[in-house]
Formats: sequence, C-alpha cells, structure tokens
Amino acid sequence: MIDFMGKKFYFFGLSLLLITIGIIVFFVNGGPNGGFNLDIQFQGGTIVQIQTTDKNFSIPKAESIILKAIKKKATVQTIETLNQKQGGKLYFMSISVSSKDTLVNEEQTTMLNALKADSSMHIKKIKPELIVNNVQPSIGAEILKNGIYAIIISSLLIIIYIWIRFSVLSGPSAGVMAILALLHDILLMLSVYAVFRIKLNEAFIAAVLTVIGYSMNDTIIIYDRIRENSKLIRRTAIAELVNKSITQTLNRSINTVVTVLICIVTVFLFAAYNNITSITEFTAPLIIGLTSGCYSSIFIASPLWVMWKESQYKRQIAASKSKSVKPARAKG
Amino acid sequence: MPCSTNQELICYLDKEGGSSQMKGNNAVKFIVVIAVIAILTWIAATGPTIFGQKLKGMWDINKGVDIRGGVRATLSAPNGTKPTSDQMDTLKAIIRNRLDSSNIFDAQITPERNNTRLSIEIPWAQNEKDYDPQKLINKTIQTALLTFRYVDEKKKDANNQYLPLEDVKDKNGKIITKNIILQGNDIKGAGVETNTQTGKIDVTLQLDAAGTKKFAVATAKLAPTHGIIAIFMDEKLISYPGVNTEIPDGNAIIEGNFTTSEAKDLAATIRSGALPFKLNILQVDSISSLLGENAFNVSVIAMGVALLLVWVFMLVKYRLMGILANIALLAHTVIQVLFISWMGISVTLPGIAGIILTIGMGVDANIIIFERIKEELRSGKTLRASVDVGFKRAFTAVFDANMTTLISAVILYMFNSGPIKSFAITLIVGVVLSFLTAVIVSRIMLKSVIDIDIAKHPWLYGVTLKAKEPKEVKA
Repeated sequence: MIDFMGKKFYFFGLSLLLITIGIIVFFVNGGPNGGFNLDIQFQGGTIVQIQTTDKNFSIPKAESIILKAIKKKATVQTIETLNQKQGGKLYFMSISVSSKDTLVNEEQTTMLNALKADSSMHIKKIKPELIVNNVQPSIGAEILKNGIYAIIISSLLIIIYIWIRFSVLSGPSAGVMAILALLHDILLMLSVYAVFRIKLNEAFIAAVLTVIGYSMNDTIIIYDRIRENSKLIRRTAIAELVNKSITQTLNRSINTVVTVLICIVTVFLFAAYNNITSITEFTAPLIIGLTSGCYSSIFIASPLWVMWKESQYKRQIAASKSKSVKPARAKG
Repeated sequence: MPCSTNQELICYLDKEGGSSQMKGNNAVKFIVVIAVIAILTWIAATGPTIFGQKLKGMWDINKGVDIRGGVRATLSAPNGTKPTSDQMDTLKAIIRNRLDSSNIFDAQITPERNNTRLSIEIPWAQNEKDYDPQKLINKTIQTALLTFRYVDEKKKDANNQYLPLEDVKDKNGKIITKNIILQGNDIKGAGVETNTQTGKIDVTLQLDAAGTKKFAVATAKLAPTHGIIAIFMDEKLISYPGVNTEIPDGNAIIEGNFTTSEAKDLAATIRSGALPFKLNILQVDSISSLLGENAFNVSVIAMGVALLLVWVFMLVKYRLMGILANIALLAHTVIQVLFISWMGISVTLPGIAGIILTIGMGVDANIIIFERIKEELRSGKTLRASVDVGFKRAFTAVFDANMTTLISAVILYMFNSGPIKSFAITLIVGVVLSFLTAVIVSRIMLKSVIDIDIAKHPWLYGVTLKAKEPKEVKA
C-alpha cells in the first residue's frame, strides 16, 4: 500500500505552482485579451482579399511574408470565383488576420507591397482588386455563454449523480471534490494555452470538453473502489481506506490513461512532423489535460475528500466529547 | 472448496457447469460476433457496392472546410433595411439551425462589423459532383419567406397562378389594406402528415397565439364566400386552399402535391425559424482548403498507427484477454467511423484527432474489467469464477464512469450548436459504443474462449502466481 494521503501537500503544492505560473504569464502577457491568444473566430479581425493571376502560390510562404511585413500571424487561403463580366475565373488570395482592432491602411499597404515583391505570389501587378472586410467574432458571446451554461449544469448533475450512486461516501462532498479536480484540470490546460500562446478557437472548446468528459472517469474508478472497500472493511481510518483503494486501482488508473496518451501523442507527432498546426494546437493541450485528469483524481480529488471527511469527523468529536476518540470511519 | 491449493488455481470446477451443448452455443456466438465485426470492417475499409446499393465507408466521410475547401458566400439584408444587431443574431441562429439539421456542423457564420452583412463558409459534400458554389448555397440556405396571403382572383400571372399581394400602405407606413395574413414568425411548429382521405402528403402547421388569432379572423372573413388563402414561399405559390369554415384552433394544413421528402424539407425549413427579412446573396466564392486532402491522409495513417500501438499495449499487458479486447476495439472504431460516414457529419482535422482519441478511450472499460479479473485470479478464484466476478464487480465502475461522461455529452448536445454539437454527438456515440463493445462483445468472446482447455493457463491472462500466498480478506 502506498501512502498517498501522507504526501498530499507536495501534490497540492505542485499543482498550485503550475497553475500560478499560468496565472502569472497570463497577466504578464496582458494586452486587451488578457494573456490569451484569441483566434479570429473569438475576437473578429480583418479578412483581406487580393486579386492574383494564378492560384498556385505557396500558402506557408505567403503566411511567412505577411508575418515579416506586419508582425501579425495570418491565415491564407486561395479563392476562385467566376468572372461575372468577362467570363472565366478570377483568383484571390484571402488573408485572415485576427485582432481586436482592424488592420489600418498602412498595414494593408505594407502587406500588399511585401507580397507583390515576391513574384511567386502571382499578385496581379496592375490595379489588383483589394477587398477588405472587417469581421466580428463568429464564435460569439452566445456560444461561449452556452458552453459555460452546459458545463455548470452538467457539473451539478454529476454532483447529484455521484451523491446518489455513491451514498456510502456520504453525501455531496465526493461529487463536489470530483468537480474541484475537474476545475484543476481545466486551469492547468488554460495555463498551457497562456504559456505557449496557443490560439483559442473552436478546437479549444472541444479540447476542454474532452477533458471534462474524460477525466471524471478516473475519479469514478477510485470512488467505486472506496465504495466497495468501505462495505467490506469498516474498521479502518478513512485515510487508510482511501490509500488502499487508490493502490488497488492504480494499475487501471495508469493503464487507461496510457492507452489514451498513446493515441493522442501519436497524432501529435504525426501532425508536428507534417506541419499540421490545427492538429498540434488541438492535441498539445489535450495531452496536458488528460494527464492532469488522471493525476488529479489520485492526488487532488481523493485527498481533498479525505480532508473533508476528517475535518467533519473532528467537528463531530468536538461536538460530543463524551465519545471516546477513535479514528475517522468510512461510514459514520 | 476444490480450489484451495494455489498450484491448482485453474481447476476444472467449471466443467460441471459447462455441458458440451453450452460450449457449442458459445462457439456459435463467438463466430457470429467475429463475422459481424469482419463484415463491418470490410464495409468501413472499402465502402463497397452491394446489390447496386453503395455503402459508405471511411473514405466517404464528409470533410470540413479545412480539409476539403468549400464555398464562402456573403449575404446581406435588402437595400434600405438597417438590421439591428438582435436581428443579425437571430439570422445567425436560424442559419446555424438549418445547417445543423443537415448535419453540417463545421460551417462558419461571421457577421461583419457594420452589421449589414453575414459571411458563411460551407464545406463541399464528399459526393459533390458539379462543384457549383451557387447551387450549394441555394441548397443549404433557403432564403424562403413563408407567407399566407389574401389573393385578388383577377391578378394572375402568365401560368394562371395567383400573384403575391403586398400589404398596401399609406405614405406614413400605416397599413390600409392588409394582404398578408400570416408570416413565418407566426408559426410555432410544422410537421408532415398523410391525409387519410386523399392519400396525399400534407405539411401541418401549428400557429402561436398571435398567429391563431390572425388566422381565425381571416378564416371567419373568408368562410361565407369560400374565399381563397394563398400560401407562398417567397414569390412561389405552393397551394391555395379554399376556406370552408372558421379555424379558431391555430392548426393549418398546406396541401400541395408534395413527395414525402419535399414535405419533410419544407416542414424543416419552417420549423428552423422564420428569417426576419429576405436575404440577398451578394457574392459566392469557392475557397481552397487550408491544408488539403494530404492532411486527411496523414491523419488516417496516424489513426492506423495509434490503433496498432494500442493493440500492442493491450496484447502485452493482457495477453489472451488483450486479443479479445483488441477485436472489440476494432468493432468500436469501425462502428464509430461508419456512424459518422452514414450520418453525413462533416469532420474537421481536430475532429479526426477526436476520433483517434476515442480509440484510446474505447479500451478503458476493458482495462478496468481485466484488471479486476487479474485481481480475482490472484486471490485464488477459478478462471471461470474470476471472469464472472470480474465482469460483475467492475460493472459498477464502468457504468458510473460512462454515465457521468454521458451526462456531460447530452447536456452539451442540448445547449449548443455548430461544431460543439457535432463533438457532442461523436462523444455520445463513443460512450455508448465503448460500453456495448467492452462489456457485451468482449464478455461473449471471453466466455466462449475460457471453455477451451488450452486457453486456461494463467500466463495467458497476464497473471504470475506466487507460491503460497497468504489469502487476503477479499479484494
């Protein structure tokens, strides 16, 4: 049996340290968006379309030219459209730049000149048509609000569910601690986004939701064993009961997260090798979040619950001093 | 207790319960399960055509704009209308609804800063043939405005059809003659019904309180003369029923030689909400993918490698049970892929990463169960008893874990739209599938296999038996 409870403050400390780093970076980076790097879907921005003579230009090259010219990260796409007047097709390079403010005219000109300077970009030399659209966020406040509502409501339902199913663990405290562990996982993930300046977009929402859906599983495995053990062995201190349960289920806690990590790390490596940023940006925070989900169920949720139960028990003893001092029981 | 000595751990107690008929039964079940999984895998891998019917496989999955490119369109309110930002929000929500109902979850809908235009991006369908951007936009965003109007029996067009009459207003904008009885926003719900008398398919409408009132007044007015109410989608006349009696209960029917699918489409369009105004399509472009189909192929290879690695892990850790779990995992992955393909859900690159993730999650239930079985074996139970008890005891953990995930997924589905909705669907399917395959499929297989004598060695279950281990008091 491993004494997880005895070392709990080291683990609490480690988590607090990591989250604090995230918070510090968040405020040091500052800026109008706080420390997060919001993508165009979240904060709006500018979409510029420049007419080209051909659609075969290198997209990564175009993006790097723009980054050099205006120091802003852009997403480039090719657009083809039918020429209404003369027939045939027209080609455009579409450049999306996310920013709280719109691109000012000088920036547009600098960008256009830099692109023109490279002949492989096929920018139309004489009077290229330039269409500038300033767009609002497509992931509006509405979607964020709905997402947060969904998280709150499902958290409440999970607390109620655990309360009913794990009544042996006595009351809502187990569910509340499970949700706290979940919060811990999300905070850690947010720290990763802040520290590595990963763009927040739809993939971010999906990543957070995955972690929420998944990391509860590990907590449940441990709770389930505590529930079972507390029926079998009644005369044990709570800390010991939990230590025993975690030790017994340690193999499955680790193995389940290992199979998940095998998959997600494979995808990450493939994407990193092939330069598919949309996948690396989705999977990197997931790796942290899922690992944290396993970690937090062992080192955060369970110790917090033990602390809660023990303090509850001490209060009971203080209330009725006539009783002889016994260690806290699993059932009481 | 015949199994008290540890050397004889795998004793043959189970022979008593296992008649030869029972074994035959299990073998049949085993073969059926394997055959079903093999067929599904074949369908997913090749997308074959059987009896002239094309079955969609993994290569027919609809891909998102980021992989496949698509269409970008700019829509605007009619000239002279200055939409409020509330109306733009409504518009966005309605278009999102319509796209959701055709399983297009990864479309982007972006309002412009000055609030008069909306730009949307929609991916090409996988089976797209003509790549006509205009057609795709027309198909997905029906700008139709449904109206019920009075008609002037004298005013007809060349095809002898009634013309839609507008409300006549004086110069202050006050309505003098009312010609529009109902509009899309007076309608609460719409459905499809087969008329028992005519055998034709009708679209049924339920009106809201205001609509019911307006409709009652109009029908009361028209009933004595058997007047006509004409129903238009934009300028197109759909049907023009004569009114025989006053209709005070807010139920209306549109009759008009519909096919079932036409009627369903119309009902869906009406249900998804009334546009606050008619939209003009300003510009339609086709856009390239961000990364191209190559990125999709890379993800598919990554998926294969991930599946292989998980297989190896399970094989090393759980040996014989691992093989069975791997078969169950294959079933899980294949069914998930087929579901996405058949539902026509379009996946983006992060979406594929999500599917690969479910491969890792798919074996979780099996790991929980197998660890339990190993534990029971070590505590000195027979193989058969260990498998039974293992499945039984691990069941609560697996069940509760899946239930909590399911709770969050269902809430997500109910509260959200667009990409998050598609994520929630994938998650719900994944959880249900993992439960079915890990608990039921692998159980059937494991129970048939343990009847075979050579499959009884503890090594096959990843258990090393220590000599003379003091028995623990359970668990």
